[in-house]
Amino acid sequence: MVIYLIIMFAISLVYFASAERLVTYIRLIGIQGLLLCGIAILELIEINTVNLIFIIAETIIIKAIVIPYLLRRITKVSGVTKVHRQAMPGFYLVILSVAALFASLILSWSLRNPYVDVIYMTIALFSLFTGLLLIVTHRLIISHLTGFLIIENAVFIFSIAVGNEMPMLINIGILLDIFVGVLILGFFGLRLKPYVNELTMLKD
Amino acid sequence: MILVSAMFFPGIILRTKSIASGRRGPGILQPLRDAGVLLRKGSVFSTTTGLIFQIAPVISLATVLCAILVIPFGKQEALIHFEGDFVFFAYILSLGRFFMIIAALDTGSSFEGMGASREAFFAMLIEPAFFILMATFAMFTGYVSFTDIFSNFFITSNHYVLIFSIIGFYIFIQIALVENSRLPVDDPKTHLELTMIHEVMILDYSGFDKALIHITTWLKFAVYGSLIYNVVVPAGWNIYLQIALFLAVQALFAIIVGFLESFRARNKMNKNPKFILTVSAIAILAFAVILILNLNL
Repeated sequence: MVIYLIIMFAISLVYFASAERLVTYIRLIGIQGLLLCGIAILELIEINTVNLIFIIAETIIIKAIVIPYLLRRITKVSGVTKVHRQAMPGFYLVILSVAALFASLILSWSLRNPYVDVIYMTIALFSLFTGLLLIVTHRLIISHLTGFLIIENAVFIFSIAVGNEMPMLINIGILLDIFVGVLILGFFGLRLKPYVNELTMLKD
Repeated sequence: MILVSAMFFPGIILRTKSIASGRRGPGILQPLRDAGVLLRKGSVFSTTTGLIFQIAPVISLATVLCAILVIPFGKQEALIHFEGDFVFFAYILSLGRFFMIIAALDTGSSFEGMGASREAFFAMLIEPAFFILMATFAMFTGYVSFTDIFSNFFITSNHYVLIFSIIGFYIFIQIALVENSRLPVDDPKTHLELTMIHEVMILDYSGFDKALIHITTWLKFAVYGSLIYNVVVPAGWNIYLQIALFLAVQALFAIIVGFLESFRARNKMNKNPKFILTVSAIAILAFAVILILNLNL
């Protein structure tokens, strides 16, 4: 069952490369949160029950509800609906995404060890590369933020893969979630949000 | 079975679209009646066209009929089957498309040339999706012909079959939509030549030849419907149940196409390559998964 969720997660990464609207990004982030929750439930069955409940609650509340909600608020307030206007065309991004998948496969095959399942490592690396691709090919700061969220999901997947042996890694992944939550809240608190220009000019 | 289901395919799509848009709409047999009228008419050929233009519809129909021969039905073997027959399947369909493209160029019309160029480009982009998917199935089952792949698809001890069944279902639908120039890639009902792909290629056809082109499209839909059937229904089931399920899957496929065309906007022309490439990317993902599972990495 867990492999179905992982494949769905990977498909969502492919769609990130081809999506053009922020609302699609936000939906995909929410879906990834739910998928990660499912993976955590199925994979971390051996760890302490309280810890497991905390992880499940965190993935559902923070990843699937709070972060998408905050992102949606930002898009509403700033009025930005498209992911990018002048960045790399999606066609090339999909090609790069496929290249990233192959790179992840080769890397995880060469780094394989008895403690981590190769499919987890592949998807975690694929997620990492997709996040990096989004950051380097997009101009909007909100797209960079989405890229960062995907990288954070990659860390979470990797921590789940070794979660039964090293539960502390999952807590580090959760700390990253909270960090991202604070970062997004910063858009409200620091009043970075209202002007489209401010959101587009970060990389210039 | 494919010929029978192809006859009702366009009617079901039309009926679904009518119901979805709240219209009474034509009956399921209306496209058949229209084709009957066209078949009884003669063809008018422009003086600028040559032999290629006249024979292209017949060749296109013949290639689809040849492609049907390699598709199995349940446990029944395909009429022709050999190792690598899916390559034959892909390229025999490409041959038909090639003739339609050069027939469009034969007219000397810039519009038709434009449509031919688009059709060739999109067909080229969707081809990897088909081959990668078939390579995935071949790795999954250990066989390299349609008959062997589909008859062993559900009886392998591999319990990940559902993954490949779902991905196959999704990708074959997308391939069928692109190959038959339907939404979201192309709109068969569009009236503006500049935005057409397939329809602009066949603007100069009339009467009997136009009917053949329509019938070819229906058959292609039914061919992909039968591929979908083979990846969702186990080959070992009772033959009568298989026949009923085959017709049900074809009807469901037509309804899905009808709903997609009712509720989905057409892509901008420059977005189509990305859309098609995404389908190939998902096929590659399926291939990566089977690679990991099969090699026990």
